[in-house]
Amino acid sequence: MEIKDRAVDGVTVISLMGSIDAMSAPKVTDFIHEQVGKGNTKLVADLSGVDYTSSAGLRVMLGAIKETRSQGGDLRLTGIQPDVSKVLNLSGFANILKLFDDVDSAVASYS
Amino acid sequence: MGKPRIALVIGSGSVKCAAALGLMKVFEREKINVDMVVGCSGGSIYASLIALGWSVERATDATLKMWTREVTAKRSNRAILQLALPWIFKFDESFGLIDDRLINRRLRDGFEGASFADTKIPLFVTATDLYNGEQTVLSKGLVADAVRASISIPYIFPPHKMNGRFYVDGYQSDPLPIGVAIREGADIIVAMGFESPYQEHVTSLMRYNFQISSVTSNNLLKTNYAFHNLAHHSEIIPILPEFEHPIKLFDTDKLPYVIEEGERATEQQIPFIKSLLA
Repeated sequence: MEIKDRAVDGVTVISLMGSIDAMSAPKVTDFIHEQVGKGNTKLVADLSGVDYTSSAGLRVMLGAIKETRSQGGDLRLTGIQPDVSKVLNLSGFANILKLFDDVDSAVASYS
Repeated sequence: MGKPRIALVIGSGSVKCAAALGLMKVFEREKINVDMVVGCSGGSIYASLIALGWSVERATDATLKMWTREVTAKRSNRAILQLALPWIFKFDESFGLIDDRLINRRLRDGFEGASFADTKIPLFVTATDLYNGEQTVLSKGLVADAVRASISIPYIFPPHKMNGRFYVDGYQSDPLPIGVAIREGADIIVAMGFESPYQEHVTSLMRYNFQISSVTSNNLLKTNYAFHNLAHHSEIIPILPEFEHPIKLFDTDKLPYVIEEGERATEQQIPFIKSLLA
């Protein structure tokens, strides 16, 4: 799992590459926790490089949603690939997350 | 930590559940052993065949013998009278529009009298208690009896009576019973599930019934799937075969295609499953 971040108009865009599963979940959790610790609670996760998310990935997302929202922020998703979309829909996560077609729209949604 | 315990969970989905045979073909080829099998509704048929250790060919033959259009061809005269004149022909919990004697016989013959004690892999079949709505996990007695309880499609087949209780289809309590695998101590849970199809047009009472049933069960599927994913300590791996054309209740002529799609969907997950087992 490769993780990069950049700031765009006060929003932290996190680009993930690889699968979010049991092996990579701790790394993603730590990264998001670190961002929130720095006060970066408005997050956009660019998942265009994520080909798969497992149950561990869903738990990571739920933890991130709760952590950011409890501090006035959010985790919004973009670049969702078909296999990830299937899991988000099946689990009902698509109903509790804000999903966007591209990074710009996701960033703009915070303004 | 020792070797992870692998569970295969096959949800409701009528003939589509035969995709589980494709999954087993891939698992056998990749030498991935399953420690328990859980099945619900149509999935209970294939969970049972897999747990009994029957080959894909034998399981396919058994399906073709058990599940044909004839099993729903004969209407229950009693049910029709119960509907028309309920005050004379007492309406009760044994209601079902189809005479279930043929499906009962087919299941008994198809499973060749096998019991849970005959399974090579521990088997759990789920049904729903009509009177309290609870999921019931069946793991003793005749496999055919448990499967019959699990496939009691409401309004179509009468609830199945066992030990003084009336059981309706397993999907009514959970269309993809991952919770059973969690409770039985599974680590890696491979879950093959299917959303119920929606009707293009609602043109009859039965289609209306199927539509309402699909709406309810698909929402139940999502809710339970989310809960189980969040509750489980390890990985739940969804295998979701995709079919280009709708597979209907009795499309057994499409079994080879369904099995092939099951293989294809499973192959996509093999690298991840192997990485978990490494």
